[in-house]
Amino acid sequence: MSTSRMAWLASLSLLPAAAWGIVLFGLPALIVLVVSIASAAAAEAAATLPRGKVTLGDGSAFFTGLLVALLMPAGVPAYVPAAASAFGILVVKQSFGGLGRNWMNPAMGGVVFALLSWPGLLSQWAAPLGSAAANAAVPPLEALRAALAAPGPRDATPLAVLARAGYGFSGLDSAAVGWVNSHVLAPLGTRLQPGTLDVLIGHVAGGIGSTCAPLLLAGAAFLLTFGVIRWHLPVFYIGTFGLLAFVFGGLGTGQGWLAGGPLFQVLSGSLVLAAFYAAPDPVTSPLMNTGKCILGAALGVLTFFLRFFGSLGDGVAAAIVLGNCISPLLDRWMERRKVQELGQGVA
Amino acid sequence: MDTVSSRTREAPLVMLLLTLVPSIAVAVRVADALWLAAGAVLVMTGSSVARAILDGARPAGTPETGTPAADGPGEEDRTARWLRALVISSLLTAAFEAGLLAVAPAASAALGIYAPLLAVNLLVAGKGGPDPSGASPLRATLSSLRNGAWFAGGLVAIALAREVLGAGTITLFPVSGFGGTITLSPLLDQPVRALGFAGGGLLCLGYLVAAVRAVLARKGSAAPRAEASR
Repeated sequence: MSTSRMAWLASLSLLPAAAWGIVLFGLPALIVLVVSIASAAAAEAAATLPRGKVTLGDGSAFFTGLLVALLMPAGVPAYVPAAASAFGILVVKQSFGGLGRNWMNPAMGGVVFALLSWPGLLSQWAAPLGSAAANAAVPPLEALRAALAAPGPRDATPLAVLARAGYGFSGLDSAAVGWVNSHVLAPLGTRLQPGTLDVLIGHVAGGIGSTCAPLLLAGAAFLLTFGVIRWHLPVFYIGTFGLLAFVFGGLGTGQGWLAGGPLFQVLSGSLVLAAFYAAPDPVTSPLMNTGKCILGAALGVLTFFLRFFGSLGDGVAAAIVLGNCISPLLDRWMERRKVQELGQGVA
Repeated sequence: MDTVSSRTREAPLVMLLLTLVPSIAVAVRVADALWLAAGAVLVMTGSSVARAILDGARPAGTPETGTPAADGPGEEDRTARWLRALVISSLLTAAFEAGLLAVAPAASAALGIYAPLLAVNLLVAGKGGPDPSGASPLRATLSSLRNGAWFAGGLVAIALAREVLGAGTITLFPVSGFGGTITLSPLLDQPVRALGFAGGGLLCLGYLVAAVRAVLARKGSAAPRAEASR
């Protein structure tokens, strides 16, 4: 499959999540999307035009701009996504020779650059459509951190902690969860926590296109079906992170072992988006499946530490940029092992 | 004995740690970069001139330490030259540091350890070591001034880019009626903080080196064309 086809298919699979972001956050989200994509395209054209070969048609700049925008808060000043996209294209990609020669994912490089440059602006999130609560503009992950930092009794699950802290979930969520609890789950002796629907469908504050896991997973299924990505890296990434969040996630907050709320942690932040759309980037991930599995696990560990003990957002973008650094080493190591195995086979 | 072997001097990591990193660390504000550049020019020029004068004071061909000099300076002679260069550079660095402390204590505090490191950095970079060509004091002075100007220009360019984009200011020296700092209001409100970090400094340095190489390459390719057109 050509690189151009891969980039356009990946962009196409992200459009539902982008559309959901526009529905959820309105015109500001659309502005961020347009500015980010236009900036990436302009940077690509500016870098390639002097060489006499404009590569806008390969779709990689469009995909970079789209991915950067989906990770940004709606309403962020336009120069932030513009600078992040331009940095990703000019510095991360074109400075190293263009597509196929970059050692870091351009979109993630741009987002980390923006996180380091304007951390305050990138933590000002917008409230989703129909949420009038005072704290609706705070992503669940940050609200959980704040709630756990405050003294008081500890609840068993993150959603219960948020409910006790008075987190503003939508009216649709309370109606739907109430109906399911009373009509379906009550006879079974169990119940859903308030906020389950909002977190699941991404009706919460967060990145423009990073909150709605079902749409992202549908897009990922599309990419897997067409062979654009392989399952190894995303599965090991999300699996390792979920496992660590489950085992150790509750320790720092006094909830004890095996109480970290892995599903909440996986669905919050930009983990699903990055795991399927940035981490498996064929240029910056290992070539062999074993290498992909190792890198996926390493990204899970890095994201866990950065999210639970770091200060760079939800830790995903920084983890992927760090993971990109070890990717060539993994390739070299796997290659050496393969040669040794072949040598032993011949002997 | 060569105090800093050419292999060590050419090792990228050593060069990076001993010469680039201190320079990058200082090149966050234009004023600090100007002070460090002034120190570098002083130490480079002063040590070159002093060494040229001392070398010229000996009758030509006389071995310095009794070692026959049939094939150029002997091992002991080279050691003596290195030690002399080290002492001269260290003395000049100490003088610069003392002068800076007296004239601009704030700049002295900002430069910190990097001012005394100047002597070591210049020796490792090969700019403060013994001059094997035996140039005259005038030629040594001009050569050091040229090297110093390149170093100062690069350092100030990096600092200017980092301070303008990374802080929205240009810090110079206060004179009557001027506080010493120019503020650039749009960038002052939301500066590109990433450029203030060490990574931002290396990024600026990388692009500066690339720009210089591109200019030199263009000059190099233009020269044969001009030659051919004659």
